[in-house]
Amino acid sequence: MSEPTTGSTEAAAGAERDFLKVSDLYAGYGQARVLQGLDFSVARGEVCAILGPNGAGKTTTLRALCGMVRGRGSVTLNGTELLGRSPEQAARLGVAHVPEGRGTFNDLTVEENLRIGAHLRTGPRRRGRTERAAVVADLERIYDYFPKLRQRSRQAAGSLSGGEQQMLAVGRALMLRPSLLLLDEPSLGLAPLVTRELFEIVRAVNEEERTTVVVVEQNAQLALDIAHRAHVLEAGRLVLSGPAGQIREDGQVAEVYLGVSVLSRKAG
Amino acid sequence: MSAVTDLLQQVVEGLGSGAVYASLALALVLIHRFTGIVNFAQGELAMLSTYVAWQLVASGMPYWLALPATLAVSFAGGMLLERIVIRPVQGAPELTVVIVTVGLFIFVNALAGLIWSFTVKDFPQPFPDGGLDVSGVRMDWSTLGIIGVVAVVMGLLYLLFQHTSIGLVMRAVACNPASARLSGIRVGWVLMLGWGLAATVGAVSGVLVAPVLFLEPNMMGGVLIYAFAAATLGGFDSPVGAVVGGLFVGVAETLTGAYVDVIGADLKVGVPLVIILAVLLVRPQGLFGRAAVERA
Repeated sequence: MSEPTTGSTEAAAGAERDFLKVSDLYAGYGQARVLQGLDFSVARGEVCAILGPNGAGKTTTLRALCGMVRGRGSVTLNGTELLGRSPEQAARLGVAHVPEGRGTFNDLTVEENLRIGAHLRTGPRRRGRTERAAVVADLERIYDYFPKLRQRSRQAAGSLSGGEQQMLAVGRALMLRPSLLLLDEPSLGLAPLVTRELFEIVRAVNEEERTTVVVVEQNAQLALDIAHRAHVLEAGRLVLSGPAGQIREDGQVAEVYLGVSVLSRKAG
Repeated sequence: MSAVTDLLQQVVEGLGSGAVYASLALALVLIHRFTGIVNFAQGELAMLSTYVAWQLVASGMPYWLALPATLAVSFAGGMLLERIVIRPVQGAPELTVVIVTVGLFIFVNALAGLIWSFTVKDFPQPFPDGGLDVSGVRMDWSTLGIIGVVAVVMGLLYLLFQHTSIGLVMRAVACNPASARLSGIRVGWVLMLGWGLAATVGAVSGVLVAPVLFLEPNMMGGVLIYAFAAATLGGFDSPVGAVVGGLFVGVAETLTGAYVDVIGADLKVGVPLVIILAVLLVRPQGLFGRAAVERA
């Protein structure tokens, strides 16, 4: 129990700043290399938006973070290397990925979907009474964020509307009590009002639970509304990084000089 | 009056054989749900399990000890099979997978012949002789026993899938393996569990039918065809459908054999094929299955 020195406080602050640290990340599918060396960090408790046109590598970036595609370089979460791990291992390290197109378990009821999210905490080896009570409490917490899911808890997930399914997918990810939440195009195919509601909930989760969030979006305006920082991807490289407010302004600059329409609202 | 009794008698017989088809169909459906694979070797695996039981009994083990031992061996064998033979072709084109399971069929059949020869063996009947007589309809203990065992297997599977956390995890994997992975589920293990479970359920069908058909390497060939008809009728994704389909196919087989002179005992093997054809033409997803909807 040594006194915290200036050095270790600085180190701690660095660890907070680089809670998620992506260095020189290359990734792709087979011969097609999509990511061409990404470098960025996300601080603990921050919402980070990754913007950019179709095919820029946004989804690939998230997939590399959660082990769905192989990557080269380095990705550390709280100092632990994530690259080279399978999605199930990444989940065990606290990475919850909500894939594009939701990925709910359509044959299962809403509540079963959420319980699957808590599976890691209720597995055979961890079936303590307190842990079970915690899962029940977590269900209530998710239902408080998403009251519609409470009403439909006994319904099959496949019978929900697109917006409700997306909320269920996010809810399931939160049941993992993740330290890093990855959202891939949450607005895809949703009505604008529903999308706004969803983003407000993500903001609330981030503020109340200090969950670190990386969100990939085509709808840049929406993402910038809840993000602290943002990065603009173009052809597998970061072309613009900074605080969300600044990106909002520089976005127009990028549009003019780089021909990148990062702030276009045509998506969604 | 005696015509009604006779009809009921045929129905009871039909339910007896139908229960056997149901349990093998259940094994087929379990694997199809978990992996999307139609396992043509399912019957041969059941046959192999039955030989294991026979060997144990022949070496002096009491039947009711040999049975659980056989089921345990089958479970482990099913798991190993998934890991060693099926995993490498998982995700390969459908035809590749079909050929692998057909190859497995031939391999297991030949292996059994090599070890135990193709001569027919007597298999012990666990149920006592005699039976019940309900107003003229005779129900053998063996028939009732088979129906009872299959009902118990069904009940256990229902409890497993609906009321345990591992069952919930298994249903999640069957529904969406990619999302299951993202939730931290070790999908590979769950697939192995699924194959182990299917092999165990299949073993039950083999052990039940062996006293009637006598044990030899080709014993399950006919049963497999009936089980395919049952699974097709019920819907390849529905365990309930497999059981209903199995019972229906059993009764249909017995009734047509007994009452349609043209068909008789010789042609009744055609019944399941007619059922398969009719279902595929009229309602390809089966009675309890869901139509596959593919997004354009």
